[in-house]
Amino acid sequence: MSQTEKRAGLLRRTSSSKKPLKEKVVLMYEDIFAEEPTKSNPRFWDELFLMKVNLEYLEGKLESLDGDEVLRVKDNINSLFQHCVQALAEEHQIKVVNALQTLCALFRGVHQKNRSATGFDIINMLMGFDKAELRMKELMESLDALLCGDGSQSLKSLCLKLLLCLVTVTDNISQNTILEYVMINSIFEAILQILSDVSSRAQHGYDAVVLLALLVNYRKYESVNPYIVKLSIVDDEPTLDGMGRVIHHALAEYNRQYKEKEEENQGGFFSTLTSMVGSMFIADADEKLSVQTNEAILLALYEAVHLNRNFITVLAQSHPEIDIATTPAVPVPASPLTPLGTTPPSLDMMNNPELPLDPNLQTSNLLITFLKYSSIVMQDTKDEHRLNSARLCLIILTCIAEDQYADAFLHDDNMNFRVNLHRMPMRHRKKAADKSNPSRPLVCAVLDLMVEFIVTHMMKEFPMDLYVRCVQIIHKLICYQKKCRVRMHYTWRELWSALINLLKFLLSNETILLSKHNIFQLALQVVNLFNMFITYGDTFLPTPSSYDELYYEIIRMHQVFDNLYCMVLRVSTNAGQWKEPASKVTHALVNVRAIINHFNPKIESYAAVNHISQLSEDQVLEVVRTNYDTLTLKLQDGLDQFERYSEQPREAGFFKELVRSISLNVRKNVSLSTMSQDVLLKEFSSIS
Amino acid sequence: MGDTELELSPAQLEELQKSPSASSTSSTSSLSLPSSPSSGPRPLTSSSPSTSESLPTSSPPLDVISEGVGELSLVIDTEVAKKACQEVLQKVKFLKADGEVSSASSEPVLVNGTAHPESTDGGKPPKISQEEAELVKNVRRRQKNNSSKQSWLLRLFESKLFDISMAISYLYNSKEPGVQAYIGNRLFSFRNEDVDFYLPQLLNMYIHMDEDVGDAIKPYVVYRCRQSINFSLQCAWLLGAYSSDMHISTQRHSRGTKLRKLILSDELKPSSQRIRREVPQPPPSCPPPFHHGQGMSEHSLSPSKRTHQRSKSDATVSISLSSNLKRTASNPKVETSQDEDLSSSSDSLELEAGTPVRLTPQREFIKSLMGIGKRLATLPTKEQKTQRLISELSLLNHKLPARVWLPTAAFDHHVVRVPHTQAVVLNSKDKAPYLIYVEVLECENFETSSVPVRIPETRIRSTRSVENLPDCGITPDQRASSFSTVPNYDNDDEAWSVDDIGELQVELPEIHTNSYDNISQFSVDSITSQESKEPIFIAAGDIRRRLSEQLAHTPTTFRRDPEDPSAVALKEPWQEKVRRIREGSPYGHLPNWRLLSVIVKCGDDLRQELLAYQVLKQLQIIWEQERVPLWIKPYKILVISSDSGMIEPVVNAVSIHQVKKQSQLLLLDYFRQEHGNYNTEEFLTAQRNFVQSCAGYCLICYLLQVKDRHNGNILLDSEGHIIHIDFGFILSSSPRNLGFETSAFKLTSEFVDVMGGLDGDMFNYYKMLMLQGLIAARKHMEKVIQIVEIMQQGSQLPCFHGSSTIRNLKERFHMNLTEEQLQVLVEQMVDGSMRSITTKLYDGFQYLTNGIM
Repeated sequence: MSQTEKRAGLLRRTSSSKKPLKEKVVLMYEDIFAEEPTKSNPRFWDELFLMKVNLEYLEGKLESLDGDEVLRVKDNINSLFQHCVQALAEEHQIKVVNALQTLCALFRGVHQKNRSATGFDIINMLMGFDKAELRMKELMESLDALLCGDGSQSLKSLCLKLLLCLVTVTDNISQNTILEYVMINSIFEAILQILSDVSSRAQHGYDAVVLLALLVNYRKYESVNPYIVKLSIVDDEPTLDGMGRVIHHALAEYNRQYKEKEEENQGGFFSTLTSMVGSMFIADADEKLSVQTNEAILLALYEAVHLNRNFITVLAQSHPEIDIATTPAVPVPASPLTPLGTTPPSLDMMNNPELPLDPNLQTSNLLITFLKYSSIVMQDTKDEHRLNSARLCLIILTCIAEDQYADAFLHDDNMNFRVNLHRMPMRHRKKAADKSNPSRPLVCAVLDLMVEFIVTHMMKEFPMDLYVRCVQIIHKLICYQKKCRVRMHYTWRELWSALINLLKFLLSNETILLSKHNIFQLALQVVNLFNMFITYGDTFLPTPSSYDELYYEIIRMHQVFDNLYCMVLRVSTNAGQWKEPASKVTHALVNVRAIINHFNPKIESYAAVNHISQLSEDQVLEVVRTNYDTLTLKLQDGLDQFERYSEQPREAGFFKELVRSISLNVRKNVSLSTMSQDVLLKEFSSIS
Repeated sequence: MGDTELELSPAQLEELQKSPSASSTSSTSSLSLPSSPSSGPRPLTSSSPSTSESLPTSSPPLDVISEGVGELSLVIDTEVAKKACQEVLQKVKFLKADGEVSSASSEPVLVNGTAHPESTDGGKPPKISQEEAELVKNVRRRQKNNSSKQSWLLRLFESKLFDISMAISYLYNSKEPGVQAYIGNRLFSFRNEDVDFYLPQLLNMYIHMDEDVGDAIKPYVVYRCRQSINFSLQCAWLLGAYSSDMHISTQRHSRGTKLRKLILSDELKPSSQRIRREVPQPPPSCPPPFHHGQGMSEHSLSPSKRTHQRSKSDATVSISLSSNLKRTASNPKVETSQDEDLSSSSDSLELEAGTPVRLTPQREFIKSLMGIGKRLATLPTKEQKTQRLISELSLLNHKLPARVWLPTAAFDHHVVRVPHTQAVVLNSKDKAPYLIYVEVLECENFETSSVPVRIPETRIRSTRSVENLPDCGITPDQRASSFSTVPNYDNDDEAWSVDDIGELQVELPEIHTNSYDNISQFSVDSITSQESKEPIFIAAGDIRRRLSEQLAHTPTTFRRDPEDPSAVALKEPWQEKVRRIREGSPYGHLPNWRLLSVIVKCGDDLRQELLAYQVLKQLQIIWEQERVPLWIKPYKILVISSDSGMIEPVVNAVSIHQVKKQSQLLLLDYFRQEHGNYNTEEFLTAQRNFVQSCAGYCLICYLLQVKDRHNGNILLDSEGHIIHIDFGFILSSSPRNLGFETSAFKLTSEFVDVMGGLDGDMFNYYKMLMLQGLIAARKHMEKVIQIVEIMQQGSQLPCFHGSSTIRNLKERFHMNLTEEQLQVLVEQMVDGSMRSITTKLYDGFQYLTNGIM
């Protein structure tokens, strides 16, 4: 990214009308870069922070310094930094505001200047190496005090912006050495406090959550990150719930925007046209529908789900879909936030956040919103961003599917929800009427989403790893059902036919796919899913007839399995890199083949005896039912075992890249000047 | 009606005569009254109207009374007691003498059933009035004179037969302040539970009757309020509910409203010294109100507390090692809250310290439950209601555990969690009653025991996560001084995952491990012994068979029906539900964990339900006493206001409507499906249960004139009993006031089929039970009547509509019929009920207008 562009983004407001006429503050900056500023004016520092900050000038100046100048003015910059930190403790709020903004300019300017420089050099230039630890300690303590104090909300907002700015000054967060001090002087508690409080959460929740997600990713794999440790043990429900709500809100907002655009596009003439002409225009429509995805929030959700086991409960915490922003941020009555029901509950019972009474509001929870979000994101995985988002969604779902508690509520028969997943408009199917969608346990929605993904992504740019994750998620859910004997009334048939179609696709595109992917791994997983149903179906299928249907589906599509068998047999007999994976698939197919070989002759003879050319479904089922007893199956090992998700080492690269892209994005969007000086002045003039 | 107060009911008299102590002619001073506090003269004199008038502002008279009770309950001073009683009786006679001329009019009470002394009452009073002047001096002599009515009364009051029911009766009927005051004092001597049963009557008298009655009752109520939060709240709710029928202007200044305000203002709390003095001498049956230091001991014993604490401190250690923290734990608030909790519970005398929120938590708890009901009512569909209910309750969960409890429960406890996903909305047209299950921890005393510590939903994880945290043994110095990468350890994932698998297997016990299931065993074996490469073969037919067998073996469950969400929830056997919820609860491992359930009704007046409960309970006691094997199930009612309350649900029972809709079977076929074929013991037991409950409820329906008996209002429990619910139309009220439900009770041919048909032995048994039940009820009619009669005072309830409610009720006991006649009556009623459904409505009408009974 170019610097000009960035600056433009940063300074859009202030840069408009500033012309040669030099402001007082610029003169003062010049003093700093020229000489010992206090020499001419002993009250220089006092005055400086009363001046409105000129970010543009300051950053530009810092960037333009060359090596010699840096050495010369280093002491002055150190001094400026020191005075900024001191000013944070000032009572005069204007000074605090200006100091915060100056600090931000300092961090940015110095980093812009020294792209290639080591972290030590930067620290040295800003604070002086010997003082660094002390300065940063003071800085973090001041920020913590500001964030936790009762002060102005705008100030808190600025503090968070400064922190975001500091965290994202480097492209690779792990190379940002200054963060080492943020690790030592933790602001974790301040972030939690913001999230636990209703009003502050509404205003700063988003920034706080993003900040936390980024901090957790600092040197995640190389050292002990205290934020990881702390995040993993948070068990205060209001706080976790607050975090969940911030994420929920962000995702729901995305869903809403998407839906609005979708409706816009479908209005009137256009929609009739699309439906008439077919899918030609749909590609266009999709382009328009792309709303910027929000990986930062998704990362936060991932870290919360992955690191903190108590957060899982938040996923199921149902509440009506409310817009956090629109709920009036009424300052919570003086009573401090009640710590977990141990205080007299009267206090918190009384300010029970009453849910708005709107019959049209669907009750929702974070998981439902997340599933909807995923369904949108997964529709289009062509562009890199969305592919990554989809991948992250599937990783999160993997973590959820592995969690015992999450599985419990996913399968809870008493928690039924309508989840309207977004479905990609496709030529060969009509857009399902959403209203008919029944209320079901949440696991059905997850399975629906997986099925939807499977049927909609059989394309040339085959997202192999997403498919693998997808099938793994299904497998994990079924393992839970088998173990706990949960019988879901799910239309398993849709899943079976989707899986068989997937195998079909793999077969027909064998040559193209094999050049890039190990398709045998995926085929093995799919076949093993069938093996789960065949050998353990008695433990989790809802009815005996669903077991019959499974056989029917296999027999009906036996061609696919036959072809698969031929293919894997061929590959496994040839020497080559795929020999072993292919032979695994041959072994896995033994039961499917046994079924096909057992029933096909029976069906044929039935047809012959009864002189029917084409058997109806019921007739086939009848044959199946009467011929079970002569069929012997082989019990395969380890069908209900799975490898648990682990971020390291497999996903480390993905997350590094993800965090890098998030950092760039956040840096681009953090704008200190969004809050105009006027607003601040107005707010603080009365105070001071 | 000057005479009524001295009237003894036939049952009372009969018992009195039978009782050995009463029939002995020796002087009453020899009677030992162990439970009687034998009111001294002081309480009696203090009962003059003026003294208790000052109650709301200061409590001296109360002190006198309560202290008096304490002292006297130790030393039984029969002399004093007797003297007091005599004084009272003397006053009675004065009164009687005055009103003699006017009140000597005929007495309408039916006394012609059995001969007893009262039949001669008419002649006595004049004689006594002549002797009046000498009475005081000649007390002893007069007491020996057994024929004297006053002596009967005195002896009755002092005998151990004098129970709370009689006390209430005399309190209500007597117009004499002395008698009222005496009984007011005697209230202290009854067991708390006994008096609690009559609390609605007491409070209704307090609200609607004259001052003397109120003054007699008030000290007792105030005393009990000081003792118990629960009692205070019950009183406040009942006072509010029973005052609501008054005109708004009088209501505001009425005694009931004032007392309610006093209670809710929370001024009636035990002051510290008095508690101490009372502790050693509580009434014998009631548990000691305060256990000093007990909260502390329980606190330290609680296992949850310990683990929680430990994990917390582990966390603290590991984190503080890793970096310099200002606040140590994951969240500062958690720490402080625990500290507060510790300090408050170590100070087990928190109540004496005068916490301002003695009643508040519970009131807020109830208020939020009612709030939920109100909000649910605005939602259009069952599905939305259910979802909203679940989400509202999950919010409520955040505030638990707390010092709140369910008043319908029989033991002291704290509510710790509401398993919100188990809650269901019940069937109702426009209201939204709902059923919730509540997890509680039983405790010694909910007022003093410490509130349990919150355990997060994912209990196991949280403790585990801390223990497994990678060792963060890097000092901040190391970190700061060198930026070199610290030797890597494998991050978080491995640390959890291993345990998780173990946890997966430990945590969830295999459900239904039956003998057929060796598959999973195989698979485990094959994993462990990878070497043995011998393939295992299974028959596909076995899998299919197992599937169908397992589905067949699961107990009959109801299908999920979005329009009737409660059916499934209610059908699940209670024990099963308890086990299931306990498994899923973070508190489930605690030994004192219990599951309760309650129906929250918002927008419904439960006062009639409460009345019905009392009558049912009374009849149940009577039948038990008389050894009539009728079975009824009175369910507890909590009236909170005139339009809200709570009901204790009948467990293991679904409505007959649901049974029929879900099973699509006739009742008899359903019985066979549930309990086996005709001659199995299970079926016969269920059939007997059905008959006994049916007979019981038929009598109830007849006596109370319970209407609106459709199948949705009749439950069938898992043992075959039927249970009638919804007593919205009783006594003088019926739906739309059209008498179309003209039969005495509901008896359908399906019911008769279950009983084995009209000619079966069981059907005869049914009629015989009804006859026995009616005879027994008749014998104790007074006890039943009085419950209803007192509640009629000042009431606008539809069941009291008209002037003849009580008279009609009395008539239904048929005091004037012989047992043979009663038998005929029962036959006729059964016949009539049968016919009213088999014949057309017109026939029923004919039947009625022709006056054939």
